[in-house]
Amino acid sequence: MNAFLPLLRTNYRDFVRDRTALFWTIAFPVLFIGIFGIVLGRGDDGASYEVGLVMEDTSPQAATLGEVLSQFEALELTRGDRESEIASLADGDRRAVIVVPAGFGASISDGAPQPLQVHFDPSQQTTQQVVIPVLLRAFEVADRALTQTRPVVIADFQTLQSERLQVIDFIMPGLIAMSVMNGGVFGAIAMVSLRERRVLRRLSATPLPAWALVGADVTFRMVVVLLQTVLLVVLAVIIGGVAVKVENLPALAGVTVLGGLAFVAIGFFLGAFAKTEQGFFPVAQVITFPMLFLSGIFFPLDSMPDWIRPVVSAMPLTYLGDAMRQLMVGGAPVHSMALNLGVLAAFLVVFFSLAVRLFKYE
Amino acid sequence: MPVIEVRDLQKAYGDLQAVAGVSFDVAEGEVFGMLGPNGAGKTTTVEILEGLRIRDAGQVSVLGLDPASSGSDFKRLVGVQLQQVALYPRLRVHEVISLFGSFYDRRASTDELIALMGLEDRRNARIAELSGGQAQRLSVALAVVNKPRLVFLDEPSTGMDPQARRNLWEIIEGFKADGMTVVLTTHYMEEAERLCDRVAVMDHGRIIALDSPGALVRASFDEDAIEFVSNDGLTANDLGGLAAVTSATSQGSAHSIFSSDIPRTMGSLLDLAAERGAPLEGMRVRHATLEDVFLKLTGRTLRD
Repeated sequence: MNAFLPLLRTNYRDFVRDRTALFWTIAFPVLFIGIFGIVLGRGDDGASYEVGLVMEDTSPQAATLGEVLSQFEALELTRGDRESEIASLADGDRRAVIVVPAGFGASISDGAPQPLQVHFDPSQQTTQQVVIPVLLRAFEVADRALTQTRPVVIADFQTLQSERLQVIDFIMPGLIAMSVMNGGVFGAIAMVSLRERRVLRRLSATPLPAWALVGADVTFRMVVVLLQTVLLVVLAVIIGGVAVKVENLPALAGVTVLGGLAFVAIGFFLGAFAKTEQGFFPVAQVITFPMLFLSGIFFPLDSMPDWIRPVVSAMPLTYLGDAMRQLMVGGAPVHSMALNLGVLAAFLVVFFSLAVRLFKYE
Repeated sequence: MPVIEVRDLQKAYGDLQAVAGVSFDVAEGEVFGMLGPNGAGKTTTVEILEGLRIRDAGQVSVLGLDPASSGSDFKRLVGVQLQQVALYPRLRVHEVISLFGSFYDRRASTDELIALMGLEDRRNARIAELSGGQAQRLSVALAVVNKPRLVFLDEPSTGMDPQARRNLWEIIEGFKADGMTVVLTTHYMEEAERLCDRVAVMDHGRIIALDSPGALVRASFDEDAIEFVSNDGLTANDLGGLAAVTSATSQGSAHSIFSSDIPRTMGSLLDLAAERGAPLEGMRVRHATLEDVFLKLTGRTLRD
């Protein structure tokens, strides 16, 4: 007797003939990747940001400052009066507005320099992350030009990666980790449905061993999760322009399977408590939804407050996302790879043994 | 040696004693019926024999094995049909039969089973598209996919129209002709009378009578019944006093009189009706049935 392949075939047929499930498994992550890829994808690298410059001083020093600022390609300077520029900032047409106050040049000659006023909208992430650093750098250059000093401490910044990582490189591995999580946890719904429809009970009246039933189901879920990952990596490259580390792809497949197994085990565990498919869904949502936002998929972990760290550390997606980011794009490690893999393996072992213990045919 | 031996079988769910000390044997090649209303303990008894439930007490031997401890060695020998199984809705009929066949070394061919169950034109239909009767026939086909010597059918005709039910009966008679032993639960007395060599009548977890359908009826009634409807003033008491009447039951305006001498009883019934001016509608004379036996033994009908 070999029921393993027939069971696998049954899973496949049941899956591909269920159009709704097919949609959620394939189309949903693809839409996600597509939207993020288009919105955040690598545009041309010479992207520039509109910055307003309000000149209320006519001194040569103010002119030098204006000249220096205009040399920065990342800044697209617009000159205007204070009122209209601030209004443009409020309308979202400017990233920042620099006001050079009247008497700026004179104050430098007097030895008591007046500060520039820089207005910006702190809720705009790119302003904080990109525009302000560029402005600081510009002010530094202008400072040297005006004081006629030469820099002595010169830094040559070497990034960890050969290419500088962008937001899209951060997000894509996270999205793939998310789809592995959903594929695993929600994949367990098939078993819940078999139990609800009393098919498990009927199968328990045959000599079919439980390992064959569970083994075929888990194998099928892993194939689905792997194919999903392959599809998403390809799309991340094509749509998002993500520079994937090709040499790490086999390891990425391994991590996909390990993460997939851990999340299937969690799904089976949750499934042991659900009598019906409808009862399973909200429980799985409650478990997976917070992980989307708290395990560093969309927001970097170091942007989160300290008190939430223990919660973050307890989430398996944190470790899967970190492992995938390291392998896929060479992202900076949050945890060591050994810790990531160890935690995922621990989740797998603990939840699978609990699921086996709680398993019921009806 | 009997195929099934059961001695003082007991099973409780919490406070509810579902099976309260049941003993019987089933012989090789026999069609053995378990008749009773819902909740009588039929399904629990059968599921213990199938190895799906663990008994609290008593001895059970099926094909010489203890179903509770013999595992897959036992399960490959018997065929099982359960109530209310909703198979993979998106699979096709022949795919499900092949799948179940793959669980066994010894198996009937898929096409043979499809032909046996008369499902030829539904071969490629999805399970979700089958009628209740077709789905039920498929579940019987799955019960014999391993060509078992012993098959358990739990209310196999539920949800079938009368024509489909008769088709199923022919199939079960075919099983018997092939030498298969069949254990069948039902709450249709007609089904038990037609198919079963012996019937165990169950109520409240006990067997209250066990014999061939004919012997069961003869043991309770050596008489025939007169049935009629009368709206006016005839009571069971009046009817019990008629000539040659052994017992009479009334449910609302529907009356049944059991008589050891139909002509004498009929004469006195007509006299009584004329005297009272009571109408006698839909009158017919029939043999006593298992339904009557059950009513007499328990005071309730099978469908209650």
